[in-house]
Amino acid sequence: MYRTAQRRIVIPFLLPALALLGVFFLYPLVRVAVISTNEFSRTGKSTFAGLDQYQRLLEDPSYGDALVNTFMMTFVGGCMLFPPAVAMAWALSQRIHGERFFRFVVFAPVVLSAAVVSLMWKFLLHPTLGLINPALESMNLGFLAKTWLGDPALALPAVAFVLVWQGIGIWVVLLSAGFERLPKEVLEAGRIDGAGEWRLFRSVMLPMMNDVFRVLIVLWVVQSMQSFAFVWIMTRGGPFGSTEQVVTLSYRTAFEFGDLGYAAAMGIALVAIMLAVALLLNRLLKRDALEY
Amino acid sequence: MLSSTEVRRSRHARAGREPRAPYRPAHLVIYLFLGAVALSSVSAFAWVFNVSMKTNSEFLVSSPWAVAEAFRWENYANAWNNANVGLFFGNSVLVSVSATVLGVVLSVFAAYPLARIQFRGSGLVLAVFLLGLMVPWMVTFIPLYLTLSDLGLLDTRIGLILVYATYNLPFNVFVLVGFMRTLPRELEEAAAVDGAGPTRTFVSVIVPLLGPGLASVTVISFLQNWNEYFYALVLIHSKDLMTLPLGLFQLGQAADYGTNWVTLFAGMMITILPVLLLFALMQNRITKGLTAGALKG
Repeated sequence: MYRTAQRRIVIPFLLPALALLGVFFLYPLVRVAVISTNEFSRTGKSTFAGLDQYQRLLEDPSYGDALVNTFMMTFVGGCMLFPPAVAMAWALSQRIHGERFFRFVVFAPVVLSAAVVSLMWKFLLHPTLGLINPALESMNLGFLAKTWLGDPALALPAVAFVLVWQGIGIWVVLLSAGFERLPKEVLEAGRIDGAGEWRLFRSVMLPMMNDVFRVLIVLWVVQSMQSFAFVWIMTRGGPFGSTEQVVTLSYRTAFEFGDLGYAAAMGIALVAIMLAVALLLNRLLKRDALEY
Repeated sequence: MLSSTEVRRSRHARAGREPRAPYRPAHLVIYLFLGAVALSSVSAFAWVFNVSMKTNSEFLVSSPWAVAEAFRWENYANAWNNANVGLFFGNSVLVSVSATVLGVVLSVFAAYPLARIQFRGSGLVLAVFLLGLMVPWMVTFIPLYLTLSDLGLLDTRIGLILVYATYNLPFNVFVLVGFMRTLPRELEEAAAVDGAGPTRTFVSVIVPLLGPGLASVTVISFLQNWNEYFYALVLIHSKDLMTLPLGLFQLGQAADYGTNWVTLFAGMMITILPVLLLFALMQNRITKGLTAGALKG
């Protein structure tokens, strides 16, 4: 009897949330697929174009370049992210004084807006008025001072650095959790056998955390390919398209050229490629589970 | 009464932590490394604060290391009043608070039947919510723009609020369903024996027990809404309606403020400080919540 009464509240409780989800998420999700099969004229009229937009992607060098830059951002950023994040997570797992303070400082940028962080770093990296170049000069490393965001060869790594600087706290926390889950007995056994901390880290901890790394790398691929705010605010895809990402190109195509169908196809293609890469990496990085 | 050592010990026991390792020389390396990381982050913030206290000519002429000559709080007043940062701040508060409240209330209602009532299709409905955690946001911005335009909600705060609330839902529902499932079954049975109907049981028995779960989803939703930039850029075009991240970006682009650095820096501090304060107060909850939130996507 109570069960029947309970069932009566199911629909009224679910309906408001489902209505919002339907209008602002599910319907747009279906509609984007429809849009990508249409050709939009300047006046906003659309005609059915089948898979023509996807055909265009294959022949468009600017999409190819943006795709390469997107992968470069993921790769360069990943190289900047994982070694220091692992080092910090390991250091924080050592039960040191001031752990709370260090965790605060490392995680603080995560709670800030990507837009404000980008704006802040745009100034920090300013060649003459910023902080980075004068800091290098004062340490007699003036030859390292560069026009970071203005140099096509350096802009992408510079943006990747800011992306990593903002987000590293999350990865440190996830990796710390990995370090804390390691079985204490195994590490103790290693210590009794005379292994130093470095040896323990390299030969015991890292192999045992293989699964954690696999998940985090896949997650990084998915997230870093969507870094819109950083690129848009710091470089707008420039100089000379050297930092243009698929997301910025898609935004520009939609709102600066009004080519909505093509922009939608770019986004869908990126998501498909991204998922394929994520699945592939997941497969490649899979090792036999360690027995312990 | 517990003595202070007992309290401390029980704290350690609750956190399940071993006491700190005795100091070893190797720890010096760790302190140096973490200290360098901390110093570089702190100096970045300190630099922004320092510049926000300078004058424009001081900023241009003096070395970046030079400490500002005086505390020029008028930069903040200037940013707040003349550069519209106060307006953006008001918009941000209105949009983030409304969207957060709407998203949390709707997800509490939606999570209850999904967690505690057996009905046909409950698995499917939950899967639909979780789909929102898996689909990257960037695919939907064009149809979202068109849909809001069809509804006449483009370039309105109410449109932005509805979109933010919707994009908070999947994570909120995910967390709250998990949380509600940990509550004992007997709660509803006891309430039913006492003659309470399902709605009454939900309001008087279940909701009061949601404290920690509710606090987590509220803080995480608020931070995400406060910091959101991309949808604001796509959906808001009038200067009067911009939120802080978008407004500051636009301020950095505008010609008259492109050279008025100190005002822009004061605006950045105004945006950063409330969030850092919130983080300082609720460090553990926010760290855990945002880390769980990052696992989506």
